[in-house]
Amino acid sequence: MPPHKSHNKPVKQAVPHESASKHVTGEAVYVDDILVNRQLLVGRVVYSPHAHARIKSFDLSAARCVPGVHAVLSYKDIPGHNQMGPVVKDEVCLAENEVVCVGQAMFLIAAETEDQAREAERLIRIEYEHLPTILTIDEAIAQNSFLGPSRTMQRGNPDQELQKAQHRIKGELRTGAQEHWYLESQVCLCILGEGREMNVFSSTQHPSETQALIAEVLGIPKNEVVVEIRRMGGAFGGKETQANHTACWTALLCNATRRPVKIRLFRDDDMKMTGKRHRFLSRYEVGFDDEGNLLAATFELNSDGGCAADLSFAILERAMLHADNAYYIPNVSVLARVCKTNLPSNTAFRGFGGPQGMALIEHVIDRVARFLHQDPLEIRHKNFYGIDSRNVTHYGETVEHNRLHIIYEQLVASSEYDERRKAIAAFNNSSEFLKKGMALTPVKFGISFTTTFLNQAGALVNIYKDGTILVNHGGTEMGQGLHTKMQQVAAAEFGVNLDKVKVNATNTSKVPNTSATAASAGADLNGMAVKNAVDTLKSRIAESLAQYWSEQNPDTSTAQHSVHFENDSIVDIEHPARRISFADAMPLMNLRQVSLSATGFYKTPDIGWDKTKGWGKPFHYYAFGMACTEVLVDTLTGHHTILRTDILHDVGDSLNPQIDLGQVEGGYIQGNGWVTTEEIKWDDKGNLLTHSPDTYKIPSVQDIPKDFRVHLLQNVPNPDTIRRSKAVAEPPFMLALSTWLAIKDAVSAVANHAFEPSFSLPATNEVIVLATEDLKKRMRENPPGEAPTQ
Amino acid sequence: MRSSISFVLDGKVVTEDFSKPSVTPTTTVLNYLRSLPTHKGAKEGCAEGDCGACTVVLGELDAGNTIRYKAVDSCLVFLPMIHGKQLITVENLKTEAALHPVQQAMVDTGGSQCGYCTPGIVMSLFALYKNHDHPDRNVIDDALTGNLCRCTGYKPIVEAAARSCIHQGIDSSSNDEIRIAGLLQSIPRHSALIQTSNHTYFQPRTLLEALTLKHQHPKAIIIGGSTDVALRVTKNHEQLRQLLDVSLVDELHTIRNHSESLSIGSGVVLNEVWSAVEADFPALADMFAVFGSLQIRNLATLGGNIGSASPIGDTLSALIPYNARVVLERVSGRREVELDQFVTGYRKTVRKPDELIVEIILPKPKQRSVVKWYKVSKRKDLDISTVSAGFRIDINDTNQIQNAMLVYGGMAERVKRSSSAEAFLQGKPWTRETIEATMPLIDNDFNPISDARGSKEFRRIVARNLLLKFWDDTRKETNGAAA
Ligand SMILES: Cc1cc2nc3c(=O)[nH]c(=O)nc-3n(C[C@H](O)[C@H](O)[C@H](O)COP(=O)(O)OP(=O)(O)OC[C@H]3O[C@@H](n4cnc5c(N)ncnc54)[C@H](O)[C@@H]3O)c2cc1C
Ligand code: FES
Ligand code: FES
Repeated sequence: MPPHKSHNKPVKQAVPHESASKHVTGEAVYVDDILVNRQLLVGRVVYSPHAHARIKSFDLSAARCVPGVHAVLSYKDIPGHNQMGPVVKDEVCLAENEVVCVGQAMFLIAAETEDQAREAERLIRIEYEHLPTILTIDEAIAQNSFLGPSRTMQRGNPDQELQKAQHRIKGELRTGAQEHWYLESQVCLCILGEGREMNVFSSTQHPSETQALIAEVLGIPKNEVVVEIRRMGGAFGGKETQANHTACWTALLCNATRRPVKIRLFRDDDMKMTGKRHRFLSRYEVGFDDEGNLLAATFELNSDGGCAADLSFAILERAMLHADNAYYIPNVSVLARVCKTNLPSNTAFRGFGGPQGMALIEHVIDRVARFLHQDPLEIRHKNFYGIDSRNVTHYGETVEHNRLHIIYEQLVASSEYDERRKAIAAFNNSSEFLKKGMALTPVKFGISFTTTFLNQAGALVNIYKDGTILVNHGGTEMGQGLHTKMQQVAAAEFGVNLDKVKVNATNTSKVPNTSATAASAGADLNGMAVKNAVDTLKSRIAESLAQYWSEQNPDTSTAQHSVHFENDSIVDIEHPARRISFADAMPLMNLRQVSLSATGFYKTPDIGWDKTKGWGKPFHYYAFGMACTEVLVDTLTGHHTILRTDILHDVGDSLNPQIDLGQVEGGYIQGNGWVTTEEIKWDDKGNLLTHSPDTYKIPSVQDIPKDFRVHLLQNVPNPDTIRRSKAVAEPPFMLALSTWLAIKDAVSAVANHAFEPSFSLPATNEVIVLATEDLKKRMRENPPGEAPTQ
Repeated sequence: MRSSISFVLDGKVVTEDFSKPSVTPTTTVLNYLRSLPTHKGAKEGCAEGDCGACTVVLGELDAGNTIRYKAVDSCLVFLPMIHGKQLITVENLKTEAALHPVQQAMVDTGGSQCGYCTPGIVMSLFALYKNHDHPDRNVIDDALTGNLCRCTGYKPIVEAAARSCIHQGIDSSSNDEIRIAGLLQSIPRHSALIQTSNHTYFQPRTLLEALTLKHQHPKAIIIGGSTDVALRVTKNHEQLRQLLDVSLVDELHTIRNHSESLSIGSGVVLNEVWSAVEADFPALADMFAVFGSLQIRNLATLGGNIGSASPIGDTLSALIPYNARVVLERVSGRREVELDQFVTGYRKTVRKPDELIVEIILPKPKQRSVVKWYKVSKRKDLDISTVSAGFRIDINDTNQIQNAMLVYGGMAERVKRSSSAEAFLQGKPWTRETIEATMPLIDNDFNPISDARGSKEFRRIVARNLLLKFWDDTRKETNGAAA
């Protein structure tokens, strides 16, 4: 097999994913692929079939007698705390007296085979008393069922300015839940060490938290628990907190049986048990003038948190912080609440509230445009944050290095927006049932954890005597290419070839107390931490080499600052003959008693955010992008086809254009799923109806744009980040709002844009067909010409 | 009588005699592979044929003893079904010297991110590589529809397919093909009975044997392609105690083209049915284009789709307008039934317990018939119909409807015709006015349900709309063009 092509300029190159050749050969090892000896037991989680009930009694005795079954555990068998809440301690590990959603874990079984575990499950006897349920946001609001207090943000005097505005529109928008559908479901393998030692292989985005929670449920100190993850088979936020659950359950079974145990959730169980993207019910009132300038807005965001807090408040906060998207609104208030319902606790998902906030404002702009009979793009452009003025957000952060205007100009031209807008109108005039639509929408997304202290990262870099380098950092690899970027950063900083650097599996015993790999900040934070460690090593090496060369050349000594690392060598640039290959230098360093292992650390500077006031600078910087999507909709069946998509996205100076383009394309397509075919439905008992890919439809290869043009914005270095790059993972997700609004534009053409279609998100074929029917009805009742756009 | 199975894996014949309790006749090929230390490449993403992470390629000898390669979902295949075949996994593609061209292209284009879907995608690409040279976008899309990827957005994968499938299927394994074909030929092909403590698995070779077994064991579950039956094991965790696998019965695999009709053996897999019907039955071709995925169509049989008698069985609503007939056979004789009369209720048919579906007869359509088929599903591809409709109209020279057949799937407990609408259309002119007057009548014949795929109201509207769409699509092909 050929090694990687030689890459002498490790960064800014489209080098392949560091695991690519392992992925394509099946050699890449995921948690479920780790070879374990024959003592391995299969773990199984018994979960609640009821949305809300009191557990009157349960009997595990028959289940415990099934041959091959080694443990059947209830909450009573938990040696430590029965608690897994990541922020608020409101999530028990195993149900005690009450279950609060379908899918809540109640008992754990470890058996030699899966059949035995299922047999044991059948023999568990439980008596319930049913309790009243709350299953929708509407029910929760009506019954005042909220998780914690509401949050507000305000600038100016929106109520008063709304009264003064020439036009006012009021309404509501529903956005749906979304299932992560990582290809690899939740999985954990635990293997005992000696004494209390617990070695955990968990598909987790947050190994340190997994470690902490396992220590707590087992009642042992954290230094007894090691969590390791080589790679995840996708995560998207779904393994930020909720991987902890599977890990805690596995650890409990391993501890109880004293044998290796693995739990891999069966797909349907994973879908039923784990949280989703929060669905939102948002209400708005917006005031604007004849030209479409937004003057004031009030927003009310209600998210469905499910049965426990999880990350719901941070997600809600990000939704509030993105309710402006790219637009300057002088007077704004945002009121936001997390509803408590009897559904699994909803959780992080790419965008983390941003998509829901942005969907709202983009919907509002679209309505304003239809009301004024203008192209929505003009309204958008008119309201973009300014460069020097009108550039402060509703929470007080100045929009610096604003790329909206340059992206807009380039994309409007390259997408041939104006010509295509005309062609679409002509097509729609001559076609009754097939309609075309188009939308160009922006994304402005804040980068940093809004919980400021989380913006920190650590690294541990080792150099071995053969000159090879092993990088450990706190981030986890879930497909986003973080390890590849870290490999590139380390290689570039050391001036060595990429193949000299290996990035290790993430391991809590190497780099402790890390933050989750989330908020798109993985490369930003860990890249700086790796650089910091590399800098330490380089200065140690440079110091020692400078001494060494000076000892060798007493009359022309080498200064430490002249020692440079380049082309796999270390050289005194003042005396270029003093050159030693990197590999040869390391045994020398060892002889000279130089430590070749160093830690690195980074915390994001200059940010600060007062959550209670809702004011400050929560973000280190913003990432920008825009997409223009054109669709063809069959209004009789609701099927849509994406004819063409043009994307221009800002990643600063890309660390790796191939990986970044992959993130942009993948994010947009995943977003398209959220806005079109991915519909989550529950029945009136709180059972998930769409619990397998049979009924839950993520985009397939045939759903991508027929013509798909994706570019990175060029020549826009980002100040003050690792190699002037920008984060990429989350922002492109929201480019998909262009697809949603393009579909709405096509549907709206049914009534020649005279009426506001009744629309929600996702725009399933059902939503499209019902909206079309409704428009036809309104046209019959209100012939065009007389119709108001309301 | 054979009591074990043999197949080629890693270039060698492997024989499995089911003596260990860990491998049973209903162990799927996926679980079998994952139980081996050296074949962890294939992944389970769903265990129901919807994600393709488990895709492997089966090599089968054709009549001329050449190996044909088919991508299948290994999570849906019971181990005995690969008897006499070559099982090719992602671990088998690269050589010491180089990655396979499809693997190298995936690396070069950035076709993997998390990599979990990748082994399956590579295997779909490998089958594409073997079967097509310079495939166009439709062929590539069809080859990849059964592989979900949550990370990439597919663009680099499509690009990898286009870049790599350019060597007429020749690769480093080509040199070994004759040897492998020899190994496959050496595997005895006679009937098998596999008996374990929990399972009896019959694998007859002839139709007579199959009928005799069905006579003796009327409760045995028939397996055609197992895409339906396997789910009872992988999803419902049922113990299927008695199985009659008819996939090795040659008589069920024939396609005969007569001047007036086409006869298709019940065991022919749907992808082959598609090729056979393309010329004369365009509505069937439209149906196969959106039926499951290539991996599913490489397994699922026509007899199995008809035999499962599902209310959303796509072949049913597409075949009935062509007046298809089902041939049923048992030891004591055979009979023909109109497909329209075959299904009697939710997964109920007129088939007697000891009968097998052996053949489907398709009369070739008359000149004046227009037949079209439509499917409305949440996702256009690899999805089950929310509503499907097969329509046929026969129109005379004066643009009058002589005969109309409107068949709907997803609207009732079985695939069902809209008899009120059909009756109303009789003798009417083929015009928009007629259609608009007919649309409300469809409601009379159905009382659809609301479920995960769509609400009752949506189903009603769409059922009406499809008739309008049919009219819109066909008016140019009929005398009604002026309407
Ligand atoms: C991912 C996926 C996607 C799918 N997509 C579609 C789709 O788009 N449209 C659609 O209609 N279906 C779809 N299906 C359903 C399925 O593929 C079909 O029902 C399939 O045609 C069944 O054929 P089989 O040969 O695999 O049947 P099997 O699973 O082998 O058998 C199915 C049933 O038919 C009976 N049977 C089989 N052969 C005979 C025979 N010769 N005589 C009498 N009875 C027999 C069996 O006993 C059993 O009850 C899909 C299934 C999956 C898993
Ligand atoms: S595991 Fe998903 S198709 Fe087989
Ligand atoms: S690369 Fe992650 S699912 Fe395809």
